[in-house]
Amino acid sequence: MLTRKQLLTGTGAATLAATLPAERAAAQAPVTLDVVHAYPSFARFFAPIAEEFTKANPTIRIAFRQIIPNYDELHQALLRGALTNQLPDVTFSGFNRLPELARTLAARNQIIDLGPLIAAEGATWASENFSPRMLALGKVDGTQFGMPFNASSPIAYYNPELVARAGGDPDAFPDSWDGVIALGARIKRAAPNAMGVSYYINSFDSDWLFQALVQQGGGRMLSADGKTVTFGDAAGLAAVRLARRFVTECGMELIGADQNRQQFATGGIGIIFDSPARLSVITGLVGGRFPLRTSPFPITDKQNGGVPTGGNAAVIMARDEAKRRAAWEYVKFSAGPLAQKIAVEMTGYLPTNLRAAGPEFLGSYYQQNPNARSAALQADRSLPWEDYGANGPRIHRAQQEILTSIMRGDLTPEAGLARLVEQTTALMRAA
Amino acid sequence: MSPRAPGSPQARTEARWGAIFAAPALLLIVVILLAPLAVLVALSATDYRLGAIAVRMIGLDNYAAMFADPVFQRSLRNTFLYVAFVLPVAVFGGLGVALLVHARIRTRTIYEVIYFLPVTSTLVAMATVWQFMLHPTLGPVTPLLADLGFGRIDLLNDPDFALGTLALIGIWQLIGFNMVLFLAGLSAIPRELYEAAALDGARYGADRFLRVTWPLLGPTTMFVTVTSTVTAFKVFDTVVVLTRGGPLGSTETLLYILYLEGFQYFRMGYAAAMTVVLLVFLAGLSILQARVLERKVHYA
Repeated sequence: MLTRKQLLTGTGAATLAATLPAERAAAQAPVTLDVVHAYPSFARFFAPIAEEFTKANPTIRIAFRQIIPNYDELHQALLRGALTNQLPDVTFSGFNRLPELARTLAARNQIIDLGPLIAAEGATWASENFSPRMLALGKVDGTQFGMPFNASSPIAYYNPELVARAGGDPDAFPDSWDGVIALGARIKRAAPNAMGVSYYINSFDSDWLFQALVQQGGGRMLSADGKTVTFGDAAGLAAVRLARRFVTECGMELIGADQNRQQFATGGIGIIFDSPARLSVITGLVGGRFPLRTSPFPITDKQNGGVPTGGNAAVIMARDEAKRRAAWEYVKFSAGPLAQKIAVEMTGYLPTNLRAAGPEFLGSYYQQNPNARSAALQADRSLPWEDYGANGPRIHRAQQEILTSIMRGDLTPEAGLARLVEQTTALMRAA
Repeated sequence: MSPRAPGSPQARTEARWGAIFAAPALLLIVVILLAPLAVLVALSATDYRLGAIAVRMIGLDNYAAMFADPVFQRSLRNTFLYVAFVLPVAVFGGLGVALLVHARIRTRTIYEVIYFLPVTSTLVAMATVWQFMLHPTLGPVTPLLADLGFGRIDLLNDPDFALGTLALIGIWQLIGFNMVLFLAGLSAIPRELYEAAALDGARYGADRFLRVTWPLLGPTTMFVTVTSTVTAFKVFDTVVVLTRGGPLGSTETLLYILYLEGFQYFRMGYAAAMTVVLLVFLAGLSILQARVLERKVHYA
C-alpha cells in the first residue's frame, strides 16, 4: 500500500519494509491528514517536520492547507470551518485562542480530549517528555485539548555597545527591573538620540508583554477560575509604574512595534523586550551593525513570578477513527524531541519536549547560539498566557489605550490601574 | 412610433419576452446584492457571534449599544473629520493639477505619469514606505520639520497629528486619480466654446474658467465628488498598516472598527448593525450629493 509520491521518491518501500512494525503496517490503510497552521514563515519548520514524520510513518501523508497569516485569523477560519463542517484534522491554535476554540468546539462535539490518548501511551510517557507546567498550557477547564508545540516567553534583546558606552557590563544584564531602568537611564544620558529602554506595550499586537510585566512581579491577571480580574493589586501597580518610568527615566518614545524593532536594529535603542520567536528576524534586521545579545526576562518576585507563554498547541479535530489515530501519531511526533529540534533551530522558540534539550538533539545548538539560550533558561518560569474569554482582543485594545495614557502621563499609574481593572471587568461581562 | 394598445396580444408577448430577458439580470441582482443585504439586516438584529450555536433575536439593541458606545462615536467623528479634510482637497486639488497639466504641451505626459503613480502603486506597499519616511528617528520627515522650526513632531504617533497624517496620505493617493478624470473632462470641452467666449469678451483666464470650463466640467465634478466621498469614507488600509487605530484611538475609523468587531472580536451581529449604518451614511450622502449637484450640472 504505497502512495504515488512514496513510489516516486523511492523511499516508501524501503522504509515500510525496514522500519515499520508488521502489525501496524497491516492494520493501517494510507491516511491523508488535513493540517492547517498560522504564519507563513512557519512553513520553514512545518514542512521538514512533516517530511520526517512521513519517513517514520509511511502510511500517513500530511497535506497542508493554505497557511493563515496569524492566530486570530486562524481562529476565525476554524470557527467558520466548524459551521460548515470543513474543519481540518489537525491544527495548531495559538495559546491565547485555545480556550475559546476548545470551548466553542467542545460544545459542538468537534474536538477531542487528548487525555485518554496520553494515558494510553503508558504511565511514564508523559512525565518523561513534558514538564507538568508545559502540559498545563494545553489544558482548558481541566481537559487536555491541546498538545503544546511551540512555546516562547518574552526575553530582553540588548545592544552591548550602547550598554558599554553607558558604563554597564554587557556580560551581566540586570536581573531586576530597577536595574534595567537604571541602565536604561544611563544609556539615555550616554547617547541622547537613542532610547535607553523601549517596552512597547503601547503598540504590541497582543497583551502578552503587559501580562509579562504583571506576572514577573508575582501578580496574575485573573483568579484561578478565570472569572475575576486580580491585577489591581500591588504587582499590577508596580507594573504600570514601571511602564511610566520607561518613558520618564529611560527616554522611551511611544512609537509602533515595528518602528521599535527597526530603530533597535539601527542602534537607536539600548534594550527592547520581545518574543524569542523573533530572534532570527531581529538578528537579520541588525545584520552586522552590532553584536546583538539577549538575556532572560528579569523577574522581581523570585518565588511566584513568571512569564506568560506564547506559542501554539496541536489540536485534533478529525472525525473518523482511522484519522484520529493517524492524527495522534502526527501530534505525538510534532511534540517529540526530533520535531522540536527542527522547530527550535528554525525560530528561537522553546522546546516543549524535555528530551529535546538532550545532547543528541539540541545540546550543541545552544552552545553555538547563546542568544537562543535565554528563552530556554526561563523555561521553568512558564506561566499560562491568561485568557479573558471571548472578548480578549477587545480587552487588549482597551487596555492598550489606557496603558498609553499612563505612559504619556495623562493618567497617574494609580488612576490608570483602577481604570484598567474597571474596563477589563466590564468587558469580560459584556456580550 | 405609436404605443401599442395595452392588453393587445402583441403587447403581452413583448412584455413577456421583456421579462424573460430581464430575468437573469434580476436574478443576479437578487442573489448577489439584495439577498445578502437582507441577511445583513436580519443579522444586525441578533447577538450572533461567529461559531456560536445559539442565536438570540435582540431587536434594535445592537443599534442602541452602538450609539451609546464611545468607541463608535469616536470612530464616527474621526471618519467625518477625515472626509471633511480629504474630500475638498482631493477634488479641488485634482482639478487644479488637471488644469495645470492640461496646459502643458510637451511635458504633459510626464506630469500625468508622475501624478498617476500613487494610484497604480499598492497602498499597503506604499504605506510601508510612508512608515519609514515618518519614522521619528530613521525617517527624513521629522528632522526636516525640526529644521523648519516646527520642533520635534512625530506625525504618526502623536494623537494630535496622526489622523491628519493619514488624511494627507489619502489625498496623495486620490489627487492623481481625480486628475485623470478631470483631464478626460477637460479634453471633452470643444475649443470653439473658448473662441466664442473670447469673442464675447472673456479675456482673462478666470473668466474663461468660470464661464466655460467649470460649468462644462459639471458631470465630471459630480462623479469625482461622489467617488472621492465613498473612497474617503472607506479609509481602511492606511489605518491597518500604519496606526491600527492608535495612538489613543485617534485614527479609529468606521470601517476599521467594523473590521475589529466582525473579524477580531467575532461579534457578527454588532458588526452587521455597524455595516447597516455605514451603508445608510454612504447611500444617503451619495443621494444628497447627486440631488444637490444634479440641479447645477449641465449635461452637454
